[in-house]
Amino acid sequence: MQPTMKTISSKNHKKMKEQSYVWYLFLLPALIGIILFMVYPVLESFRLSFFSSNGVKETFVGISNYTQLILKEEVFWKAIFNTFYMAIFQVAIAVPLGFVIATLINNLPHFKDLFKVLFFIPYITSLVAASMVFMYLFHPEMGPINYLLESIGLPGINWLSDPLSAKWAVIILGIWNWMGFVIVICIANLQTIPAQLYEAAEIDGANSFQKFAYITTPKMMPTFSFLLIMGFIRTLQRFGETYTIGGLEGSPMRSLYTIVGFIYDRGFNGTEYGLASAAAYILFMIIMVVTLINMKLSKMNV
Amino acid sequence: MTSYSNKWKKKKLSNMIITAVLLVAGLLMVAPFIYMISVSLERTANLIPPFPPRIIPEDLSSFNYMLAFESGEIITAYLNSFITTSGGVILGVITSLLGGYAFSKGNFKGKKVIFVIVLSTMMIPFQTRLIPMHRMFYNFGLTNTYWAIILPRMLDGFGILLCKQFFDQLPNSLREAAQIDGGTELNIFRRVFLPLTGPITATLVILSFMACWNDFLWPLIALTKNSLQTIPVYMSSFATQDSNGYLAGLTMATATLSILPIVLVFLALQKYIIESIALSGIKGE
Repeated sequence: MQPTMKTISSKNHKKMKEQSYVWYLFLLPALIGIILFMVYPVLESFRLSFFSSNGVKETFVGISNYTQLILKEEVFWKAIFNTFYMAIFQVAIAVPLGFVIATLINNLPHFKDLFKVLFFIPYITSLVAASMVFMYLFHPEMGPINYLLESIGLPGINWLSDPLSAKWAVIILGIWNWMGFVIVICIANLQTIPAQLYEAAEIDGANSFQKFAYITTPKMMPTFSFLLIMGFIRTLQRFGETYTIGGLEGSPMRSLYTIVGFIYDRGFNGTEYGLASAAAYILFMIIMVVTLINMKLSKMNV
Repeated sequence: MTSYSNKWKKKKLSNMIITAVLLVAGLLMVAPFIYMISVSLERTANLIPPFPPRIIPEDLSSFNYMLAFESGEIITAYLNSFITTSGGVILGVITSLLGGYAFSKGNFKGKKVIFVIVLSTMMIPFQTRLIPMHRMFYNFGLTNTYWAIILPRMLDGFGILLCKQFFDQLPNSLREAAQIDGGTELNIFRRVFLPLTGPITATLVILSFMACWNDFLWPLIALTKNSLQTIPVYMSSFATQDSNGYLAGLTMATATLSILPIVLVFLALQKYIIESIALSGIKGE
């Protein structure tokens, strides 16, 4: 009896081993994609960042692309400042506001789905198309937003021609576009909090504020951390809307000039491939650091 | 008894107030769409944008839509977006399903290492790869072809992760039964697992459709010919031409047409789309 068992299992083993090659076949498309569109471009971009290159002629320049960006390119610093300014305010407003709205929707007995749809539609809309509409909404004389402000006695704002208010116009557009995502993610995670926790708290005489502060908020910490990370990754790569509204130079007065705008401007308009690659690597580092900080902070809170 | 019914009444009242507040906020969210559609239907909106802003057009007409279609450029843009989006979605779904299956049920050398590489691809921003990608496609003569937009969709780390998690939930006993019957791995995948992938395929199609249709930076760089512009690129070039704001009606009609396909898809599948997004957020942790 025993020998036959052994032969069968060793036969199976051999077959398993042969078949292990088949898995690489399953992985083939993914592997081709990773090598061609990830590994190669990431390494090549890193190499390029140490060269001066216009696509035809290349010379090794060491770290001078990086030093030029950091020490000499004022517009690059401007781009970093603009990008962070808009990123921080968009995330800092959209996450808490979206969370509050999600809590309100989640506690309603009716119309939950209707509200989800209403708040979510902006998220599926292309930011480029939305920018075009918002350019009219923010029109200083004929735009509905100033009309609304003036009708309640507030002064109108020269939204897109003043550097500060232009940034806020983009922030408002960003919040409008992204908050639906925050709401949907928050509702989904609110529903995973076990109802027994609330029931037990009620028996202990907790009011709704206490339940919100001591059960809901701590339970939602991982969700907030996820939203902060996603929000910063999204907003630090901002380009489509600022390019549509402010053009190549991020007008007015480069107030909408972003890091990706810089990469596009210098890399494809100015064919400074080396400098643009260095800027792209700095963006990569920034996103990594911001993500790690967010992860650390959320771990400390939990 | 009375205190109980009072509490109930109070609850009902607060629900009504919350509903009203949410309704106002929700209307604010869709107000830009309402403005866009109403201006697009106003015949005279190209001379003067309607002011004060109104919801119902005074001179209702499809004139701006005729104007938008007149040059035929938007139809070309639709076609370009449709081809690149469907090609990209199909390629991405196939790659993710096969890859996710291998990582979930497969047993091969280097599995862990390759999986870590796949996960790390999600962390690297696209802009870091932008310039070499452009030069690679340019050197192969593939810029200004649909392939430039479709082929990079072969890389979808998040799609692979979602699929792996999906296949992880399917019992291994399914495979073992088929193995005893002597099926090859490819046949087992095709006959046993593929028919079960409906829900995850739908999720992948939805997420990848939204990403492809609205993608802007890469098509802007890889397709420079006007005849190859996708919808977002066409919209953006349209916006820069119209920076004076004198063609509100035409602009709004074009904007409406550009978001119409995705809004229709959303309204038809809203439940699944919202579920897919929620899933991506829960899994994303």
